[in-house]
Amino acid sequence: MSATAALVAAAALLATGCTSTKSGGAAGEKSASGVQLVSPGTLKTCTHLPYAPFQVKKEGKIVGFDVDLVDLVAKALNVPQEIVNTPFEGIETGQDFTIRKCDLAAAGMTITAKRDKVMDFSDPYFDATQALITKKGGTYKKIEDLKGKKLGYQKATTGAEYAKKHGAGVELVEFEDLGLLLTAVKSGQVDAGINDNGVLFDYVKQNPDTAVTAEFDTGEHYGIGVRTGNDALRKKINEVLKKARSDGSYERIYKKWFGTAPKQG
Amino acid sequence: MPLSRRRRARLLRGGQYAVLAAAVLVLALVADWGTLRHAFFDVAVAKALFPDIITTALVNTVLYTLLGFGFGLGLGLVLALMRLSQVPPYRWLAVTYIEFFRGVPALLVFIALGFGVPLAFEVALDMNITVMLSLGLVGAAYMAETIRAGIQAVPKGQTEAARSLGMSSGRAMRSIVIPQAFRIVLPPLTNELILLTKDSSLVYLLGLSLGQFELANFGRDALNEHKSLTPILVAGLLYLVITLPLGQLVRRLEARTAKAR
Repeated sequence: MSATAALVAAAALLATGCTSTKSGGAAGEKSASGVQLVSPGTLKTCTHLPYAPFQVKKEGKIVGFDVDLVDLVAKALNVPQEIVNTPFEGIETGQDFTIRKCDLAAAGMTITAKRDKVMDFSDPYFDATQALITKKGGTYKKIEDLKGKKLGYQKATTGAEYAKKHGAGVELVEFEDLGLLLTAVKSGQVDAGINDNGVLFDYVKQNPDTAVTAEFDTGEHYGIGVRTGNDALRKKINEVLKKARSDGSYERIYKKWFGTAPKQG
Repeated sequence: MPLSRRRRARLLRGGQYAVLAAAVLVLALVADWGTLRHAFFDVAVAKALFPDIITTALVNTVLYTLLGFGFGLGLGLVLALMRLSQVPPYRWLAVTYIEFFRGVPALLVFIALGFGVPLAFEVALDMNITVMLSLGLVGAAYMAETIRAGIQAVPKGQTEAARSLGMSSGRAMRSIVIPQAFRIVLPPLTNELILLTKDSSLVYLLGLSLGQFELANFGRDALNEHKSLTPILVAGLLYLVITLPLGQLVRRLEARTAKAR
């Protein structure tokens, strides 16, 4: 019967495309530092584009503050960095680590208790707060000012949680990525948008018809995520971060992307 | 004074043209052409997209589509035969599959496969394999129905003649019925190829490295980089570069099939 033959062929095809990911399996190899990579010879970084100035595509390359920092880690491991652009909810829920899509996630991601349950975080590498962006002339100082108006947020972010918590009576609109959210603010589809201050300030610098009208001191810190229990890599990242802060390379990268020196704190 | 039928028809058509012309005129007057040009036809932005949008994005779109289509066609044929099988469980299985994958959004299939399979079986699937499966599983459901209709459209006499020549039923299916059915279903299958071309834009859900970007993703990304909608327009035009010739092909094939009858 031809059907069975075809099914067998399909199954064989499947088998060739699979690689086992059980620890100690074929995938990954230990380098001298004991770090195991999901695909030997490259450090795979999960991120969600665009998130300027942390991760953004410019002239056919992905660049940014996060990229430069992780490059230091890659250099320490003596492998090149490969960046994978993937929906943020996959990063944030830890699923991308579970299915071995990447070694680490550097996506301007705030360390939260909820996320800490599904991944392990490095030491903080950047301080952030939530901020509101509106078209020039907007006077929204707090979420409550937006009652009856439209506030855009980005799926699966801390800004989304903040908006839902404080946004009683505000019409919330969800966007898949930062680019779409900012386009919606600029084009007036929503009255305001909420996201991390770093990316919003970067945007208003280039788009003078928009302004950041408020910041909510949420005291957030960005961390680099790794798979739960991947201590070898987490320690390596922390080592590299510590060294970067002491030898001036952190400050150099910070100045390159933000134009100012990092706040001492 | 009653109008003659012909005059009434002419008046009606004239009215339709007038409404259309008025609509175009209103649009032209209302639209802000300066802003539109800047948003959609920024030549400098369009130039910056090349050659990558062809060498990477267009090539990947075609590759993903062909992977999905190839797998879907094979599986679709199997499912079609199962639906026509004498063995009831085969029929039930095929019907269940077709109803399910025809009824859920491709977006959910992509997410379920991209995350579900690796989680359930602890395997890391190659990106291309995942694309092939996700697009193929969705395409197969539609193609199965198309192929089944094609097989049933082959006159019964063909099978009877083949059997009376001493062929087994499987042999008759393979050498007589399926080749003829295939000819009948070529146009609708090409339509399916066009649909899959557009569905390949869902690949972004799986996570892409730079070399794996396809047209829609590339366009969305460039939209953010250049703050202009031009990349979306260019990407859209490039989809047409793929799909318009396919549409031509469908019409040609249909004309040929019509002649052959």
